[in-house]
Amino acid sequence: MPHDQHAKGPGFRQSMSGLHTWTGLLLGWVLYAMFLTGTVSFFKDELSQWMRPELPRLTQPLDPAVVAQRVADEIGRIAPNASQWSIKLPDGRSNTVYAFWRTPGVGKGAPGFGQDYFDPITGHRAEARETLGGDFFYRFHFQFYYMSPFWGRLLAGLAAMSMLVAIVAGVITHKKIFTDFFTFRWGKGQRSWLDAHNALSVFGLPFHVMITYTGLVTLMALYVPWGERTAIKTPAERQQLTAELSAFIRADKPGGDKVPLGSIEAMVRQAQQRWGTTDVGRVNSANPGDATARVAVTRGDAGRVSMSPDYLEFDGVTAKLLKVHDHVGAAAETRGVLYALHIGRFSDLETRWLYFIVSFMGTAMVGTGLVMWTVKRRQKLPDPERPFFGFRLVERLNIASIAGLSIAMTAFLWANRLLPNAMADRAFWEIHVFFIVWGLTLLHALLRPAKSAWVEQLWTAAALLALIPVLNAATTQRPLWHSLASGDWVFAGIDLMCVALALLHAVLAIRTARNSARLRPPRSASKRGGIPAMSREAAT
Amino acid sequence: MSHTVAQLLCLVGFSALAFGLRRPQHDILRRSLRRPVVLALRAVGACALLAALAVLVDASGWGFGLVKFSGHTTLAAALVYLALIGYGRRSAMRQ
Amino acid sequence: MTARAHRLRSIGALTSRIVAALFGGYGLAALCSVAALALPISKPQAVLTGQLASFAVCTAVVIWAFAARSALAVWIGLALVAAVLAPLAWSAS
Repeated sequence: MPHDQHAKGPGFRQSMSGLHTWTGLLLGWVLYAMFLTGTVSFFKDELSQWMRPELPRLTQPLDPAVVAQRVADEIGRIAPNASQWSIKLPDGRSNTVYAFWRTPGVGKGAPGFGQDYFDPITGHRAEARETLGGDFFYRFHFQFYYMSPFWGRLLAGLAAMSMLVAIVAGVITHKKIFTDFFTFRWGKGQRSWLDAHNALSVFGLPFHVMITYTGLVTLMALYVPWGERTAIKTPAERQQLTAELSAFIRADKPGGDKVPLGSIEAMVRQAQQRWGTTDVGRVNSANPGDATARVAVTRGDAGRVSMSPDYLEFDGVTAKLLKVHDHVGAAAETRGVLYALHIGRFSDLETRWLYFIVSFMGTAMVGTGLVMWTVKRRQKLPDPERPFFGFRLVERLNIASIAGLSIAMTAFLWANRLLPNAMADRAFWEIHVFFIVWGLTLLHALLRPAKSAWVEQLWTAAALLALIPVLNAATTQRPLWHSLASGDWVFAGIDLMCVALALLHAVLAIRTARNSARLRPPRSASKRGGIPAMSREAAT
Repeated sequence: MSHTVAQLLCLVGFSALAFGLRRPQHDILRRSLRRPVVLALRAVGACALLAALAVLVDASGWGFGLVKFSGHTTLAAALVYLALIGYGRRSAMRQ
Repeated sequence: MTARAHRLRSIGALTSRIVAALFGGYGLAALCSVAALALPISKPQAVLTGQLASFAVCTAVVIWAFAARSALAVWIGLALVAAVLAPLAWSAS
């Protein structure tokens, strides 16, 4: 088609390069935040422990059967008329038991919902400060905050889709993927950024593709509901579909005959015989306390790389095993595996660290990509003193979304330690602090010259992170030396991780500051080794 | 245990593959290796990576094995990369 | 052709590609997820298969929207694929 032929000019690779650049940039800041909070979420249970320092760590594994019975009894006391409850059993990574329950609406009232954390040893409600813990980052990762989960998830899906396109376009653009595999050209400004970006992308490529695609899969029912809307019409078909996706118990309408629930412990014991003592994940009950009660005991995450439903269904009164649900259709199993790959809950400690490290590289990939957009364009600016509006916008948003996010996330931890325990809506204020601080970093980035803003924010993040162990020692009974001596690796690990991240931010701050001192380094200087990685993006 | 062995194998594998490439040869050995040597390095690299996969799959089955393999290869590639950069910096500073 | 007309043309072609990528991408993904219902498997499995594949379809369409030789070729390609999928989707619904 000739009319478009001159318009196009550059070839296939250029247009893929353009596609890569723009899909990467448009939602790049959202993606960066999703990537970083997602990375942290691989350790969300540990972070939640750290954020509830009042609760002692569990020094030995508990028997899930006993814990399930304890918490079920407690829910029976708290919500005697619950129509449904669900208990997430402790799995060695967490020192609390999370449970939620629903109560039927009275008259025309809406159905009620309750949830809490329980102490697995006493079975009573855990007496800890009110906080969302690591779950805040986890939820933010796919639905953000201050907006409805629906719109948040759509935004996350759009960002993930752009990421998928950017990855494919990036691979096509990068023509020397194998010969350049280990290439890094030091002190060459844009070249160095490109090499770093390539390395971060190529080394983790299988992971990046996997995590992006599987991320979309976790919410696919929301993103492409059309097949479901076309095919699934009757309640029976809906139940069929639901049973392929989650542990689903079909309980009849409660008959109204009050019959106490049978022994939950006995039911969990049966499951343990099948899967092993620790490999029990959840206990759900429908119509507890009624003659029609049903109980489902779900398999834990550790035994298999899949989230497809695998559970035992019991008669809730007699504790008799009614049905074993241990397989689903091929497509549902594929979805289960992809889902499990995304959240990585099956991981042992080493694999979890691998997830964390590679995902961290993914975060750095997005970050270097964002910074590269400005590095590439800075040299071509007609007047470097007064860049065009789009350039300034990207530059400032980069500062706030990369350095600023580090500050905001650390501020969230500070708020967790400093807000008074008795404060009303305390958990929400921790989150408000996160966003207020993030907003302030954006304001700072807009008001200061770009290079100063980078350096100041990186130093602020470094200082806040480095002081976390001090803050923790001052405000809790579990200082670093104590947790090290007693082998409390959750507390020691998070304290030490903050120090390590502080060092990373300090190095970046030093390099940025040193580098921006000279705008255009002579070639010989680069040989001497003064030109740091974070080169010209910071120079205004 | 299988984690350690697999990580070591991946490190060996990627080091061999790196020396099969022109740029690291020039930066570190200051010459090009002969074609048969390059081919041998690539074969060793590929075998070491496959051995790492075998170790992981043997220890934890295909599902877990592949996940762990993906993690270990990425980590090992990054470590070899950092080592090459570090070496390059040191020799550049000595000059 | 004047430089101005040339510029307008190229902006038009780019806009056309972007529209094809955004709406064509999601449209074909959605169409594919419904067409999957024609597969000879049970309804729940077909629904899930369609959902699982839709993101790959969407990605492929976006890449195609910028890889094709001309903006017109983009639309022709999309129309051809839609012409294959639409009867399948129709028969399944």
